[in-house]
Amino acid sequence: MGREVSESCIDSLLTEMVTTYCNRFYANKPELAARRIEAIGFQVGHQLSERYTMERPRFSDHLEAIKFICKDFWSELFKKQIDNLKTNHRGTFVLQDNRFRWLTHLSLDPTTENTEDPNGRSENKGAQVASMHLYFPCGIIRGALSNLGIPCAVSADISNLPQCSFVIRIKA
Amino acid sequence: MQFFGGSEISPSPPVPTASGNNAHMIYVFNRNGVCLLYREWNRPLHTLNAQQDHKLMFGLLFSLKSLTAKMDPTNLDKGNLGVPQLPGQGCSFHSFRTNTYKLSFMETPSGIKIILVTHPRTGDLRDSLKYIYNLYVEYVAKNPLYTPGTPIRCDLFDTTLDQYVRSIA
Repeated sequence: MGREVSESCIDSLLTEMVTTYCNRFYANKPELAARRIEAIGFQVGHQLSERYTMERPRFSDHLEAIKFICKDFWSELFKKQIDNLKTNHRGTFVLQDNRFRWLTHLSLDPTTENTEDPNGRSENKGAQVASMHLYFPCGIIRGALSNLGIPCAVSADISNLPQCSFVIRIKA
Repeated sequence: MQFFGGSEISPSPPVPTASGNNAHMIYVFNRNGVCLLYREWNRPLHTLNAQQDHKLMFGLLFSLKSLTAKMDPTNLDKGNLGVPQLPGQGCSFHSFRTNTYKLSFMETPSGIKIILVTHPRTGDLRDSLKYIYNLYVEYVAKNPLYTPGTPIRCDLFDTTLDQYVRSIA
């Protein structure tokens, strides 16, 4: 029986981490901030996958490892499994979570989506800030898979909240 | 101390009569008097412009709270006026009613004031106001994109609030 921690505390900690990296440490360098946050996620994923695969045998192929991420790993982290897994059988996997736990409280400003900006920049700003919050879970997935011996690149897509899709591209 | 429940939004209190569309408007203020949210569903008469209306409402409630606390015949000590207390502790004003509308009020320990104006035959809305505060905590206070002290512009909060208010009398 492990120790428990309040979910509000974790949510607030993660929110503050992203805000601090984006607004204080790397104020005008969103790329660097994103990289740092993803690196933190990488470490976390690395350690978590070590813990959650302790009693299991080695995975036979990439698909088994991805299925582990979708089912056991996701249940340990978010108390639910990935809702939909798609693959092109050539090293790309799309993991879809219909209600991603860390995004449930996030909602965008409805007014900025109506402004007519020729570059569409005002609309992108809200979505850009929201996407900063996804680097951490992407890093976790990348760290977990790398610890299982699968180097890859992970990106996320939030075109319809609270649904979230993670795209894993395994390096051949 | 379990005032505001767990991390899940507490189940909404039983609705007295669900005839829908009976709420007139809602105001949400923070402790500095900034109007965080003003929504109206049914307000045929506008007497003042928005700024004056908000200031008037805030001032009115501030004075009413002080007045009702001072006039309390059962309380021995003077109390700390102006300090937000846990709802239910001390003497707290919670609603007034005229022949055309009822105004329900709730102030939280963090200074957030929620005011809901409905039709005059509405029952006690204290539980409903607590539920609205829970919605505020979940979708505004915990929203990573929201800056405290600024007007609320959160999609999720707007839709859930709308849905909930339309379901109570």
